Amino acid sequence: MKKTYIIGFLCIAAAIGIFFNASSDVSTYATFADAQVRAKVKVTGTLDLDKEFYYDPNEDPNYFSFHMLDNDGVSRKVILTQPKPQDFELSEQVVVTGKMKDEVFVASEVLTKCPSKYKDEELLLRAET
Amino acid sequence: MNEIQYVGEHLLPGQIGHFLLLLGFVSAFFSAYTFYKSANTLDDTWKKLGRIGYTIHAVSVLGVIAMLFYVMVNHYYEYRYAFEHVSDDLPMRYILSAFWEGQEGSFLLWMFWHIFLGALLIYSAKKWEAPVMAIVMIIQVFLLSMICGVHLGFGDYVYKFGSNPTLLLRDTMEAPIFNNAEYLSRITGRGLNPLLQNYWNTIHPPVTFLGFASTTVPFAFAVAALWKNSYHDVLTPMLKWSLFSGAFLGIGILMGGAWAYEALSFGGYWAWDPVENMSLVPWLILVAGIHTNVIAKSTGYSIRSTLLFFILTFVLIIYSTFLTRSGILGETSAHAFTEMGLEWQLVAFVLFFLCLGLILFAVRYRNIPSKPKEESIYSREFWMFIGSIVLFFAGAIIATSSSLPVFNKIVNFFDPSYIGAVIEDPIPHYNKYQIWTSIFITILAGLSLFLRYKEREYKAKHLKKFFTRAAIHALLAGIITYAASFWISYFETRYIVLSWACWFGILASLSYFFTDGIKNLKTGAAAFSHLGFGLMIFGVITSGLNTRIVSTNPFAQRGLVDDESLSKVISLIKGAPMFVNDYWITYEKDTIDGQHRIFDIKFERVEDSAVVESFTLHPNVQFDREFKKVAASNPDTKHYLHKDIFTNIASLPRSQMDISMAQEIEDSLEYKPYKPALGDTIFTSKHYGIVKDIIYNPPLEDSFDLSVAVELEFKNLEGDQVYTIKPAVGVKDNMIFEIPEVIEAFNLKLFLQDTFFTNVYNSENDLNYAIYNVKKGESFLYKDYKVQLNQFDNNIDNQQYDAEENDVAVMAVLSVSKQGESPQIVKPIYILRDGKSFSIKDYLPEYGLHIRFEKIDPVKEEFTFSLAQDVRNFDPISLLIAEDVPRSDFIIFEAKEFPGINLFWLGAIMMMLGFIFALSRRWKER
Repeated sequence: MKKTYIIGFLCIAAAIGIFFNASSDVSTYATFADAQVRAKVKVTGTLDLDKEFYYDPNEDPNYFSFHMLDNDGVSRKVILTQPKPQDFELSEQVVVTGKMKDEVFVASEVLTKCPSKYKDEELLLRAET
Repeated sequence: MNEIQYVGEHLLPGQIGHFLLLLGFVSAFFSAYTFYKSANTLDDTWKKLGRIGYTIHAVSVLGVIAMLFYVMVNHYYEYRYAFEHVSDDLPMRYILSAFWEGQEGSFLLWMFWHIFLGALLIYSAKKWEAPVMAIVMIIQVFLLSMICGVHLGFGDYVYKFGSNPTLLLRDTMEAPIFNNAEYLSRITGRGLNPLLQNYWNTIHPPVTFLGFASTTVPFAFAVAALWKNSYHDVLTPMLKWSLFSGAFLGIGILMGGAWAYEALSFGGYWAWDPVENMSLVPWLILVAGIHTNVIAKSTGYSIRSTLLFFILTFVLIIYSTFLTRSGILGETSAHAFTEMGLEWQLVAFVLFFLCLGLILFAVRYRNIPSKPKEESIYSREFWMFIGSIVLFFAGAIIATSSSLPVFNKIVNFFDPSYIGAVIEDPIPHYNKYQIWTSIFITILAGLSLFLRYKEREYKAKHLKKFFTRAAIHALLAGIITYAASFWISYFETRYIVLSWACWFGILASLSYFFTDGIKNLKTGAAAFSHLGFGLMIFGVITSGLNTRIVSTNPFAQRGLVDDESLSKVISLIKGAPMFVNDYWITYEKDTIDGQHRIFDIKFERVEDSAVVESFTLHPNVQFDREFKKVAASNPDTKHYLHKDIFTNIASLPRSQMDISMAQEIEDSLEYKPYKPALGDTIFTSKHYGIVKDIIYNPPLEDSFDLSVAVELEFKNLEGDQVYTIKPAVGVKDNMIFEIPEVIEAFNLKLFLQDTFFTNVYNSENDLNYAIYNVKKGESFLYKDYKVQLNQFDNNIDNQQYDAEENDVAVMAVLSVSKQGESPQIVKPIYILRDGKSFSIKDYLPEYGLHIRFEKIDPVKEEFTFSLAQDVRNFDPISLLIAEDVPRSDFIIFEAKEFPGINLFWLGAIMMMLGFIFALSRRWKER
């Protein structure tokens, strides 16, 4: 057999192997209901602004808690084991990575998406006054 | 409606710029077409036309760049681009950063490099000039279309081509302010993002874009070769241009890593961010192409793969442009530009060149020369080819994972119910494959050097020697890997294998460099690069895998998290040292310097309970332009030869982050009134304080005309903590200010109310002056005070006195003494101006004594003074005290150790030097 074919065959085999292996690293954005059954998930949703935020860096800088509504509208308390991100209250959308522990979602990472237009408006308003 | 006549606008640069944009677009098209004709007809007239087109295009694009700089340097905010990227207070050294902050500026930078490379190609490409330049110019057409801003209407549907940087602000934005003819005087530019106000952003983008732009050249040669169906004499120029590109793209990527590490708070040089990935992938494919190109030149094998790799490199560059600039990555990347509505144009850009390259390749596939007999398994070309395949594979894996958002978008287009998938934990995901590709590459990088090109008889002649040599190096690599385990940890077997592979590559490259490399600098450069690569990957093991978080205090965790390593930060109270992981860390002080607040963080390393080393680091936070908010955090790093200590301010108390937060906190405080007398004790819920003293004109941060403070001594109920504070009231320019005091440790804030000021200091109207006539040297008694007129002084140093011509002004020097206290000097002034007399009084705040110099009787040599004393009322002293005030005197601090990070940088620099050596060797080749 030609070596080219062997190499080609090996490449295809490796590609298939990697593809199946990698598919376990991938998941869809979940809801809190999914998080009850799955080990580690990413949940998207919005901040539940009616409920309290708690961050006292004086006591523990690595503890921040807030409430979040997932895409099904379910609200859960989320604990982040990191300092509170900047402009957190302004964020439109939140993605948390972590797992459920009883009724609390323990997150190791939080991504926030802030409204980008806000900067424009602020500037022109300031110019107006 | 009448057209508004706007005031102060400069319209000419915009008109010129707009014209040049269109001219540049048309001339690029013209040049591409004429070069194309020239390539097909081999007619020199077409070529000349092509060059003329290129020249007009070059002048036009440079003109647009000059025009944009002109409006930016002059702060012409009527132009959107100037408004968005500069501001009055932006230092000129950031003007380049500001220029390429926006998409339009960075496209122009890219085109600028194409123009530069185009000139080199016209000068040097000889017979390849016409086809290669046709490709380069058609790329320019696509790039320029991104910023030309032409509107095309298809019935009701209007498509906007590109975003034109020469437009006016009022034409691109609707706002009521534009109804004002003088709007310009009321707006100011938005300025440069504080994160980008950094010298790295001045040097990283031009190098990276030169890297981007230069991938065009091997691509253009590859396409030209397929087009002209001529393959052999393209290999030499293709190789030197791909080395050029590999060097600059590589340096650009590494500079990005250095920037992230030195100046941004990412806490590392590589984060597997989609944008980083997508500039790495084309570089990997390009390097694969360079290797197959070398094979092709030396042996005639691998011409097909070389052409394919260079086509893919360029297509991947524009694909990464699509990813960064279309907004498709969303919040998954730190690099993404703001969206500009260019998505479909960028898709067309990518697809056009992908199809052009692949279709040509498919059509010509059978014409591309190849050798009937396969490479020998004992030849260098065989294993170099395998190495190239591994590099390609590494790139393909990264590209596939990074393209997940694109995949989601496409599936979602056909099936709206589809929920997009994401990679849960990107860093381990990428690492787990790249560990193995790195192992293969480092081994092959060493092994292939021991082999020879076109060696049919290698097996018989050299095989034994080859195996012996490989075995010795493998053994040595094992010994070093083991020895290194006393310094760093490997954690898992795969890292031991990786370390061994690195050392095998390093040692093999080293021995090859000293045996054969110095004789032949071309292969010497390769060995040098391979050596650098091995060191760099080993540097990743030491610095990345062995990163040690210094700022962790596991006792502080609440027990909710199983993994204590998740706590990466500590809170440091100002002045209170904290002991973590061998260091006493103290937040000593902070100072404001311009837009920055710089912190002094002292580190003291302890060994056997003795401080063996001490140093101070200065991480800082950067405020936004209005000084209202913290906009960025800039780390500081202590460099050693064998490690770095990286520090960063992760966060600050809310009141220190944002002025509106500070106001919110202040508004939420509940102040209670207290009205003690001097010597009284007041009680708050957890502390008590004693009113100790009244201080007249205390030393304060701001200077006041007159001020008074009350000294209080506060203790906690246990009595083990004592703080002395002096809340004050002061008057400056007839304005009264309350100067509060805060006891951070007690969460207390105290105000002395302004009524206290009038209790102490009477206004002039309420004073009753008594008049005394004295001679020089005489004294008199006012109440308990003995007042003596000592002398006169003509050097009047009182700031309240503005001397005028013909003034007669005399300053008296008197001493005032009270029984048992040391005498005090007062210097009232008498002024005769235009026949009228004035006096400037002097005042002793402690006694509340006002002394005026009223009259001079030259005949009797008598001087008249008037004196009055404040009526003081210290009861009550009106205080306002708030409890539970959030502390503001601490920082959330991050500190990490990166062992052996210099191996990474050294290796990376050596690898790039290898490229440059190889390039300089081959640059003159024809």
